[in-house]
Amino acid sequence: MKKLLAMLLCFAMVSALVPAMADGGTYTVFYGSEVSTLNYLVTSTTWDQSMAANIVDCLVEYNNLGQIIPSLAESWEVSEDGLVWTFHLRQGVKWYDCFGEEKAEVTANDFVAAMKYILTPEYESAVASQVYSAKIVNAEAYYNGEVTDFAEVGVKAVDDYTLVYTLSAPVPYFLSATTYVTFLPAYGPLLEELGADFGLDNQSLYYCGAYILETFEPQSEHLLVKNQNYWDAEHVYIEAIHRLYNAESATLAPVAALRGEVDSADIDNDILDDWLTNHPELVTKGRADLQYSYFYCFDFVPQYEEEYDPANWVKAVNNKNFRLSIMAAFDRVYSLTAEDAENPESLLANVITPPAFASVGDTDYVNLPAFDAAKAKYYSGDNTAAIAYKEAAIAELTEAGATFPVKVVLTYKSSDANWANQVQLVKSQLEGVLGTDYIDVVLYAGPSDNFLSSTRRAGKYSIMRCNWGADYADPETWTDPFAAGNSYNFMDKMLDSEYAETVADLNTYYAMVEAAKAEVSDMDARYQLFAKAEAFLIENAFVIPYRTETADYMVTKIDAFEGEYASFGVCNLKYKFQHLQDDFITAEENAASFAAWQEALNN
Amino acid sequence: MLKYLLKRFARSLLTLFLILTIVFILVRQMPIEGYFPNFEKMTQEQIDNGLHQMGLDQPMIVQLGQFYWNLLHGDLGVSRVYNRGKPVWDILKTKIPISVQLGSLSILFSMLVGLPMGVIMAKRKGKLADHLGTGFIVLIQAVPAAVYYLFIQLYGTELLGLKLRFEPENWVSWLLPILSLSLGNIAYYAMWLRRYMVDESTKDYIMLARIKGASDGRIMYHHIFRNAFVPMAQYLPTSFLNTVVGSIYIESLWSIKGMGGLLVDVVHKQDNNMILGIVLLFACVGILGLMLGDLLMVLFDPRISIVKKAGED
Amino acid sequence: MSLWKHAKLDKLEKDAGDALREALSEEQLFSVAPFHEEDVEITGSSDYSYWRSTLRAFRHNRVAMALLILLAAILLFTFIQPLLPGQFDPTAIANGPNGLPLKNQPADGVHWLGTNAIGQDLWARVWAGTRNSLIIGISVALLEAFVGILMGVLWGYVRQLDFLFTELYNIIDNVPTTIVLILVSFLMRPGMGTIIFAMSITGWIGMARFVRNQVLIIRDRDYNIASRTLGTSTWRIILRNLLPYLVSVIMLRMALSIPGAIGSEVFITYIGLGLPIEICSLGNLINEGRKLMMSPSLRYQLIYPTIILSIVTVSFYIIGNAFSDAADPRNHV
Repeated sequence: MKKLLAMLLCFAMVSALVPAMADGGTYTVFYGSEVSTLNYLVTSTTWDQSMAANIVDCLVEYNNLGQIIPSLAESWEVSEDGLVWTFHLRQGVKWYDCFGEEKAEVTANDFVAAMKYILTPEYESAVASQVYSAKIVNAEAYYNGEVTDFAEVGVKAVDDYTLVYTLSAPVPYFLSATTYVTFLPAYGPLLEELGADFGLDNQSLYYCGAYILETFEPQSEHLLVKNQNYWDAEHVYIEAIHRLYNAESATLAPVAALRGEVDSADIDNDILDDWLTNHPELVTKGRADLQYSYFYCFDFVPQYEEEYDPANWVKAVNNKNFRLSIMAAFDRVYSLTAEDAENPESLLANVITPPAFASVGDTDYVNLPAFDAAKAKYYSGDNTAAIAYKEAAIAELTEAGATFPVKVVLTYKSSDANWANQVQLVKSQLEGVLGTDYIDVVLYAGPSDNFLSSTRRAGKYSIMRCNWGADYADPETWTDPFAAGNSYNFMDKMLDSEYAETVADLNTYYAMVEAAKAEVSDMDARYQLFAKAEAFLIENAFVIPYRTETADYMVTKIDAFEGEYASFGVCNLKYKFQHLQDDFITAEENAASFAAWQEALNN
Repeated sequence: MLKYLLKRFARSLLTLFLILTIVFILVRQMPIEGYFPNFEKMTQEQIDNGLHQMGLDQPMIVQLGQFYWNLLHGDLGVSRVYNRGKPVWDILKTKIPISVQLGSLSILFSMLVGLPMGVIMAKRKGKLADHLGTGFIVLIQAVPAAVYYLFIQLYGTELLGLKLRFEPENWVSWLLPILSLSLGNIAYYAMWLRRYMVDESTKDYIMLARIKGASDGRIMYHHIFRNAFVPMAQYLPTSFLNTVVGSIYIESLWSIKGMGGLLVDVVHKQDNNMILGIVLLFACVGILGLMLGDLLMVLFDPRISIVKKAGED
Repeated sequence: MSLWKHAKLDKLEKDAGDALREALSEEQLFSVAPFHEEDVEITGSSDYSYWRSTLRAFRHNRVAMALLILLAAILLFTFIQPLLPGQFDPTAIANGPNGLPLKNQPADGVHWLGTNAIGQDLWARVWAGTRNSLIIGISVALLEAFVGILMGVLWGYVRQLDFLFTELYNIIDNVPTTIVLILVSFLMRPGMGTIIFAMSITGWIGMARFVRNQVLIIRDRDYNIASRTLGTSTWRIILRNLLPYLVSVIMLRMALSIPGAIGSEVFITYIGLGLPIEICSLGNLINEGRKLMMSPSLRYQLIYPTIILSIVTVSFYIIGNAFSDAADPRNHV
């Protein structure tokens, strides 16, 4: 009966809210695939986390310039040795249920309970290993059952408002790590009660963030309504977010936007031309998400079919001049038109670490002088360098017994239209510069499901676009794909091979990485060392950096540059701080706010 | 007949068992990457733990035994990826009614239009009506459904002033999806009925009936239509079930919360319990459809016997 | 309204009467004919040939003949087109003056149907796509027909096999095609062979069931029972009594299964398991084009492949129908 009453109350509230929302307060969008769970403690997909980011707050968050600001923690301090982080929580922040009823206060115990939940194997959290990478004492040991008492894990509630994390090694980027789902709080008694059923629907979790998920109908709609009692309610401007499910939203949402059914829609690359012709004033560009990086790998242990002659490829790829000839011939901007037809240069990355990820003094990591030599080796508009490398490679490889043309297996995902277009451009461009008597690029289609298992991880490629996302906000995270035992280019398998040149280069590289990892006190020196190692990898063409994450073209009523800006964590996904305009933002306004944002960023 | 039905029913159980076992084994051949959206970043312990939680680390025969044990207790398990933690049956039972409603309306509409169309076309063979009907059938056959569904949706909603998404409470909103869903069936019914009727009309018994002096109308409906309907009848239940099961195109385009595309979705997501639940459901209705079809055929054509006759080898 | 009267039949009756009247006098007509032993041995024989009559009947259908010629021309042209002057390779990328791909270029003198999103010639792609789709469609139809008819006749005629086949049908029909497709796509690489295999592996059972139902309907007709009573072998009954009866319906079904296969290629592409994009097919082209339906300046990329697909489908449909009419021996009189 009580539940029924609550439901009725809920309906009454919704109907009371509807007229209030009509004055431009509801932001309506289509979404194309359903979240798989609301349980933010177990999921690792960005889309699932986009819900969490708006309904639960982190210890700290970011402003739109990427600076860390207090959120649930009002202040914090770190011990001298960098091993103990103490957070002082904001008092009076409450948990609410989906009907907006106050349930309890958010205390330090809720952070401890949530972490315990993540580290309990039974709940199959996909993000447990992110707790280890933040170097929380005994986290991995507890997960693996080597430590059975959770009290021994490095997270403690000293009192209701004091939370202490103990680390096994200094983690300079710890503060940013707390903005990932692994450090979000969850009401302890509720976790205890529901166990695996936590987050089954919108009634089986509590809310302490800017929004409350009032309606959650999978494959139908989500209605996020502003939490009127939110501690920072004055910075939440959009009254409600109404997400409507449509599996064909990529095709239908732009039409729906023109008809006024939605307030925002992505303009995919394939229809961009048409929109720029017919509605140029409405096409705006969002803010690039810099948490991912894309790069072309050379496979040192190819496992594909004999017909593509993997043995010949092994000879070729271990020749530095051969790799450099491909790097020097590779006009990356040309093939990037498959992903951003309008402004391909804006995606180009010359370094694996994305821009704005780290900086030394005032210099962005990607602009450090260490990378200058590497940058000189890219395609520069003329083919002379590529031809020189090619001739050197032909001479050396002929002696080594390789045959020409070398078959280059270029692997891609067949169901990804942009990627398929891209590899066709790469093939055409590389063969155009280097000649089909030198290389024969074979396009190799991978399946749409279990793609990585059957392509990259199985070594079924010669060169392939790979990607990696940051696990934490330190350049070390970008060395992981090339570490020993990687499933990317398998180059470490060459360490005891007959190819002296490769072996020497690899030894140099791994030594450089070790040196960088050992530097934990002086951050500038640490970053410089990582930059040197990364530059070495690029200069010797073990990998060719390709692009950053794309910034979506869209037609929208909210200004992307108002939102939180972070190179790591879930804060980018918050609607907080953003305003909903009455009309679509014009291209001019978009350009102006981008310029203003850039300006502010640089000051 | 009763004995036959009982036998048939027992055999259906066997079929069901075979189907479920085969699908059960097939889905377990999928690579383990598909079970973990975060496979890239998981440690071996986490992967092993995940497999253990799903019971995938046990011998196939144990897993199969567990599955049937649970099934006998009416437990289909919970979804793992599609709607994590929710019991499979709870998910299905919200989706079935909407697809059944839409499918039934569409089949009704298709029969109301398609069958008379086939009869008229056969009757007016070679005349204008026949050509017009053929033109329609040809058009439906020719343009890919993927294209004309989208066309109907985009321009239909504009014309009727509707929203792009289906709104169940607004009856006008039902028209376009039902129309889209029906066009293929209408063409199918009309085409085959016409074909069978034309074939039938050249047979000797028709000539006899005509010589006897039976009226054209009587010949048409009592002889030709009834005989031509026999092969159609067997197809009807399957076509009904196919339609009711939903169309992935239509339900995706209109955001209809039905069964259409559900299977494709969960297979892509490797949600094993969901796959088996849906297969069980589809297999049951499929087998039922086959039985029903055979029965209908016997009902319409007394010459057909499925029951083994005595004395035959 | 002499709807069900056969004009030809009427004429035959009339002609026969006239001929008799002309040949014999009134007296001869009504006198007792003597018995000639040698005349008994003379049997009625004609130069009737089933296939010749079928062809003759088919040739009478002008529309179908025209479409057959059109279809043959299209098929031939898909092979000739790359040899013509001024043609592009369907995968070659044209560059614009800025050195970047000449994307979304409307039709002009160089690119007769314009270019696609990465500067590939749409004219060349449409023809290459038509060729590949026809190859897929015909291969699938032939494979399905061959296996399907063989199995279907056995299924319908040999009662002992009914159990086995019905089980097989139920299983194949109920094991979701998507699972099979995904497993096939995991075991085999995306490509023409794979897609033909994937479509046929489950497709034949539909044809088999169809044939089986037809056989069930006519199996116990009197003339077959008579044949059996006379000790005709099962195979002979199948080949001589059953199959000719089925030719017309099978032909129609086959003619439809070619565009059907082309259509399911569109569907398979839609659910993300189609051909790799550098192998053009109508499925790929239409699926790419679908997204452009509401983009007036790019819509041509959807329209051209759809037109070709429609022509091919319509042709097969009408030819199939005409041929099945022609193949029906009852229409040969």
